[in-house]
Amino acid sequence: MMDSTLSTDTPAEGTQPSEPSSIPALVEMRGIWKHFPGVIANHGIDLDLRNGEVHALLGENGAGKSTLMNILSGMYQPDAGVIRINGEVVNFRSPAQAIAARIGMVHQHFRLVEMLTAAENIHLGWEETPLLVNPKILAKRTKELCNRYGLHVEPNAKIWQLSTGEQQRVEILRVLSRGALVLILDEPTSVLTPGEAEELFGVARALAASGRSVVIITHKLDEVLAVSDRVTVLRGGRIVASRLTKECNRHLLANLLIGQEFVSRLHRVERQPGKPVLEVHALNALSDRGLLALQDLDLTIREGEILGIAGVAGNGQSELAQVLNGLRPVIKGTILVDSVDLVHSSPTSFVKAGVGHIPENRTSMGLVGELSVTDNAILREYKRAPVARGLRIDSREASRFASALVERSSVSVPNMKTQVRHLSGGNQQRLLAGRETHVASRLLIAVHPTQGLDVGATEEVRRVLMEHRNNGSAILLISEDLDEILLISDRIAVMYNGRIAGEFDTVDSDRELIGLLMGGGSISKEGA
Amino acid sequence: MITHTVIPSGRTWHFRRRVDVPIWIRIMIRLLAVILALVLVGIVLKLGGFAPLTLGRKALQQTLGTAYGLQQAVILATPLILTGLAVAVGMRMRLWNIGADGQLYLGAFAATAVALHVKGPAPVMLSLMFIAGAIGGMLWILIPALLRAYWNLNEIITTLLLNFVAVRLITYYAIGPWRDTTAAILSSTRRLPYELPMIGNSYLHIGIFIPIIVAVLLTLAIQNTRWGYEVRVIGGSRSVAEFAGIPVLRQILVVMLLSGALAGLSGIIEVAGTTHRLSGTLSNSYGYMGIVVAALANGSPFGVLVAGFLLAVLLNAGIVLQTSGLSVNAMVAINGVILIFAAVGEIAAQYHLVRKASDSPGEAGNQGQEHVEDEQV
Repeated sequence: MMDSTLSTDTPAEGTQPSEPSSIPALVEMRGIWKHFPGVIANHGIDLDLRNGEVHALLGENGAGKSTLMNILSGMYQPDAGVIRINGEVVNFRSPAQAIAARIGMVHQHFRLVEMLTAAENIHLGWEETPLLVNPKILAKRTKELCNRYGLHVEPNAKIWQLSTGEQQRVEILRVLSRGALVLILDEPTSVLTPGEAEELFGVARALAASGRSVVIITHKLDEVLAVSDRVTVLRGGRIVASRLTKECNRHLLANLLIGQEFVSRLHRVERQPGKPVLEVHALNALSDRGLLALQDLDLTIREGEILGIAGVAGNGQSELAQVLNGLRPVIKGTILVDSVDLVHSSPTSFVKAGVGHIPENRTSMGLVGELSVTDNAILREYKRAPVARGLRIDSREASRFASALVERSSVSVPNMKTQVRHLSGGNQQRLLAGRETHVASRLLIAVHPTQGLDVGATEEVRRVLMEHRNNGSAILLISEDLDEILLISDRIAVMYNGRIAGEFDTVDSDRELIGLLMGGGSISKEGA
Repeated sequence: MITHTVIPSGRTWHFRRRVDVPIWIRIMIRLLAVILALVLVGIVLKLGGFAPLTLGRKALQQTLGTAYGLQQAVILATPLILTGLAVAVGMRMRLWNIGADGQLYLGAFAATAVALHVKGPAPVMLSLMFIAGAIGGMLWILIPALLRAYWNLNEIITTLLLNFVAVRLITYYAIGPWRDTTAAILSSTRRLPYELPMIGNSYLHIGIFIPIIVAVLLTLAIQNTRWGYEVRVIGGSRSVAEFAGIPVLRQILVVMLLSGALAGLSGIIEVAGTTHRLSGTLSNSYGYMGIVVAALANGSPFGVLVAGFLLAVLLNAGIVLQTSGLSVNAMVAINGVILIFAAVGEIAAQYHLVRKASDSPGEAGNQGQEHVEDEQV
């Protein structure tokens, strides 16, 4: 039952916390198993949560952190294992039952009704909401909650009017108002500015100090060190270590998090970068909200080079990727691909110039879920011979092209007519990456290419990118995962507020400096 | 170090979406739905003092059991299928043309205008009338199409509202400028000088082949052309279409105009093949029935052929039953019940009932299986 493909080459730790505490655990999870078709998300996990502590669950995307917490909060039922709360075995069949047992979770993607006010959202589906309400009563009750927990929100503001940080406070208040003793925060800082993140950490510590147990799911090392009392590291669905945070440093955590075996499998051919493929000068573009998202941005990428863009989400990375594929209008500036200016060109012209794009969100931008594997495979080919024959599409050539693509990119599909939405995330991404690298003879733009993938699929996608670079293409890698950028980039550029705040060769890069630039230089990093 | 305490699984039934549904199961489930509806209707009729079996036999006999009944069904099916195809082609891009009724009227209107005001040999004139019919339908949807494509204005409202305008406009011409003055009671135009040739000495005109031809052409176009591919991608995901540089707005315009043209064709066939006179009652809500047909067929052109014919049989059976003492209202109710059951059957065919068993981790070993159920995110 225990397969051992994922060897624990890092110092293997018992799954018990290294420092047994005299306080009995509030929550005990024992031997939790959970599998999804094609992937085992949790391999017999043991976890203790105590009153008064902030517990960080650290792991890469797909390590099984969110699955474990979704089990604790009643979203999923485990295949095997027991959960005890204050020593009593519980068996949640729904989130409502977990909430009744005083366990609450704030999901990464908020579950708020945009058109309702903060107060209405907090009171929605709450047993203690009075039978007769009006905005005044709700506002008053919300104010009281704000004061009790020290979290301020404007009760009568509609959710869509609030910043993401404020929306998160509404979510936290909603969970706390139900009397949560265990508060689970799933990747809470992924949507926050550095300032808001600091504020959130203060709230988390205060809640722990009041006797609650706070769990923070994260893949960021700094957050673990900044806020937690204890840290449990997961990799490939197993617990690698569980320690007191004060015994850890960044280096140790990074080793536990990534594991050695994955680094070595990426084969980087040493080569001199060739001539410039992409040259961007003084580029300006607006965001969807009409604000300046790119401000006089300059970039150059050469043949056989991966340029990694690091930065906190929302500093213009998405807009940059869209502009470089003709999906977003340019206000001014130049985009030269092989010395040809492609400003104001259509997405089709970028494809013709040999630019491919693995978009930010594969299911909403890159693939059509209800169409077949073949139909999705030919999205970039359907206008070109041999797939196109005049106005017709040659279905035999189409399936030949698609089969070759599926083969080459090792996508596992039951048959070519299967709807893409029935494929696992990893297979979807391999299909998408294969299709776009085929187009990207000159330049590939990859945005969060491994987000949400399990370890194996992540490794596979990174290998594809590296191979593509080794074959002489230029790659622009945009990722929120700094470790990923450090792992595969040749050069790193830090983006802040629509500009490149600094550029380094990866070998000379200094993590702290990158972190500093990512935060606009305004926050000082804690030393490791 | 791992304690295995298997939590007893709850023995509850769950609906689970089928990944691949064999065609015979789909047909069986739909048949079952209609049979259930008929049983329900039968019980109600029985309670009301009627003899459901006798009535049913009579209805079946007179609609499907005689050549005359079958021909009547085909004649009625023709406009239902064409408006059904008009709605179905929009559905491929998640556009809802609720205005097929109005476009049908305008198609008939344009064809009538040509027939009444131009003279020429019959084949030429009929061809001109077909072209005019298609253009009439297209013009009637042009404004909703432009508003939808370039200002994102909901096409459901605009196309629907134009139906009412169309009926008034045609009624005005039928009782006003174009009225047949030789027969004072009629509120319609005079008999058109050109009509569709009949097939042998049957009641059928050659217009009945148009829906079949259109269904075949549409299927080929959607499955095997670059245009059809773009339509399918846009229908699947507009953002992916934009990502791939597909001209989404232009395709919205094209598909809506095509939809209007098909509805317009049903208008010309109706006026030149069946009624021979234009009046404000030309369409018996065919455009609205087309929505039902397209929805039952789930947007598939061949499905529209089948659903349109079956709906025509159902409507004719209703007429037969009315002669046996059932009221019009009862007929509408019976048809409604059958259509609701058919629609539920359509959805039910995509699911199957499973007893949810908790999977043990040991079974997870078969890595080859990488299907992901819809509920897994």
